[in-house]
Amino acid sequence: MAQVTPFTYRQGKSILHLLDVRCKFFIICLLSMSLLPAHFLACFFYGFILFFFFKNAGLNILSTLNHIKYFILLLFFIFIARALTMKGDIIFSFYDLSITVQGLNEGFLVSFKFFLVMLTGVIFSSTTKPSSVKSAVQWFLKPVPFVPEKRVAIMISLALSFMPVILNQAREISEAQKARCADLQKNPVKKIIRLVLPLLKKTFLSADYLVLAMESRCYSDDRTDPEFIPSGKEFYFLAASVLLSLGFAWL
Amino acid sequence: MNNSNQLKMTVYTSLFVALIAIGAFIVIPIGPVPIVLQNMFVLLAGILLGPVWGLTCVAIYLLIGFAGLPVFAGGTSGIGKLFGPTGGYLLGYLPAVFVTASISKGLGKKMSSDIIAMMIGSLIVYAAGVPWLKIVTSMTYEKALAVGMYPFLIGDALKIIAAAFIAKTLRPVIKL
Amino acid sequence: MKKIIDINNISHTFDDGYMGIKNISLSIFQGEFIILAGKNGSGKTTFLRHLNGLLLPDTGHLIVNGQDVKKHLVQTRRTIGMVFQDADTQIVGDTVFDEVAFGLENLKIKRSQINEKVTQVLEDLNLFHLKDRNPHSLSGGEKRKLTIAGILVMDPQVIVFDEPFSNLDYPGTIQVLTTIIDLNRSGHTIIIATHDVETVIYDATRIIIMEQGLIKEDGAPADIIRLLEFYGVKEPSTSKFGLGIQPWRK
Repeated sequence: MAQVTPFTYRQGKSILHLLDVRCKFFIICLLSMSLLPAHFLACFFYGFILFFFFKNAGLNILSTLNHIKYFILLLFFIFIARALTMKGDIIFSFYDLSITVQGLNEGFLVSFKFFLVMLTGVIFSSTTKPSSVKSAVQWFLKPVPFVPEKRVAIMISLALSFMPVILNQAREISEAQKARCADLQKNPVKKIIRLVLPLLKKTFLSADYLVLAMESRCYSDDRTDPEFIPSGKEFYFLAASVLLSLGFAWL
Repeated sequence: MNNSNQLKMTVYTSLFVALIAIGAFIVIPIGPVPIVLQNMFVLLAGILLGPVWGLTCVAIYLLIGFAGLPVFAGGTSGIGKLFGPTGGYLLGYLPAVFVTASISKGLGKKMSSDIIAMMIGSLIVYAAGVPWLKIVTSMTYEKALAVGMYPFLIGDALKIIAAAFIAKTLRPVIKL
Repeated sequence: MKKIIDINNISHTFDDGYMGIKNISLSIFQGEFIILAGKNGSGKTTFLRHLNGLLLPDTGHLIVNGQDVKKHLVQTRRTIGMVFQDADTQIVGDTVFDEVAFGLENLKIKRSQINEKVTQVLEDLNLFHLKDRNPHSLSGGEKRKLTIAGILVMDPQVIVFDEPFSNLDYPGTIQVLTTIIDLNRSGHTIIIATHDVETVIYDATRIIIMEQGLIKEDGAPADIIRLLEFYGVKEPSTSKFGLGIQPWRK
């Protein structure tokens, strides 16, 4: 069965794997946000910490960089755009374009920050089971008024569980059409319709069966709450990340 | 709405969340810029599910992406995406799906009204995405438009025509 | 034998031309192993969906353990579990463990009890080592067994299967067949709708044949086996060659 995305969860027993998902989630939001206004020194320091946890969680850095290569390309464009548009001390100029010291600094810093925030996301999704993410979302939504958090959790479950099925169906449909020389079709609108229409029909048919299956298993909105298993180290991690973000602000 | 109908809409909406996530991976090779189907599924969610469920659908998609499930383009995720260069497009899906659904519903779910609704919906996505891109990357407006909008317009037009036809064919089948 | 299901003259018609059922009356007892046979469109699926309250009869009554299904839907659905034809479209959870826990969560059972029960059922069906996997990544036989596990945690008395062997390879079929036979031996009543009578007939205690929404035959396998092809169902080859009913598994 198809791997849906490159960043799906990797099994493991590292500290990050075992950390309570709610705590992990909070830390990531806190650090991502405190990183945005931070300076060079803070970014490099954070980079080192990330590198340590990357190793600790048993993740492969090279293959990760390979997976996000398009994102890195985008960051490179941002870097160039900043370097060219900032006013300041000119190092090099060519017709109307000029590269400045301030531009280089600024461009590098912004790209580097996006890169770090991105890697933080990668660490989170590779060390957290999708079903735990769902439980955490349900837990965080609980105090929000007018949001039926249990139904949202079921919807996330269904979406997660059906992604590989739908992706496989799309692949099957497109192969079946290739076998009948669909490549000769030049009309782009027809090309889209011939892939999407059968895909949607199949998806809705699956949905109808799924409704029956859920009803026959007594589906109700009023369900048992999810379970969280803390590792006991949550307090230290929370304290460290709060200190870290205060440190970033001070720097 | 009775209980069984509510469950039906819940399931349809969930599967559309999956479709939108997968839409980032389904590529149709046409011309120099390959066509990605994600924004088409967002618009179709509006037209087929209606304003409330359509909005729910996009909100859940964004929620699980920001919460760390790898459902954004290229298998990415995380709250950082929100502040990233493409955050505006993602947030723009919210008003886009709601407005598209409302216009389509208000004008009577005809093929012509669906096309108008989806054109406005697509423009809303750019209206949110392009300024965001400009601010985050400090590009000029001309550059931001050249990078973040113009290359995709032809593909969008094709997708909208296809989507209008698809909606017309599917409506009687799924009886929504 | 204890009577579990009592069906009293039920009928159901659809307005879109789908095959309904007409005047069906029968009783189902504890420990029976029933094959429900008939061509496509003979009304089997419509009949099965009544057993679990997914469809309600237009006329007549369906009584499960002395209670009318119409008034006791949740209780009925706990007593009578249903395994659908396509395993992929009935999986709700995103891990094997969550998938099995789904039914119990709906009943709002305490988390500690759910964990205990799910673990036990997964171990019984030899699926425990897969508990963290995405259900859709399992093999055909494992997937089918997982859907059975999802039903089994609710402690049903009757388990209904709609085409349990479709799309399975030979080892997968043996896995599922063995599971079904074990369930029957441990006291569960089994009802199987299938075209593939050969696979299960040796273990069956009763065959019901449907056609045009009506029950045409109902009796012991040995009495009915010769009539199968008259109703468009393949007769097991051992019977054709005069060897009677033989076990399908070696």
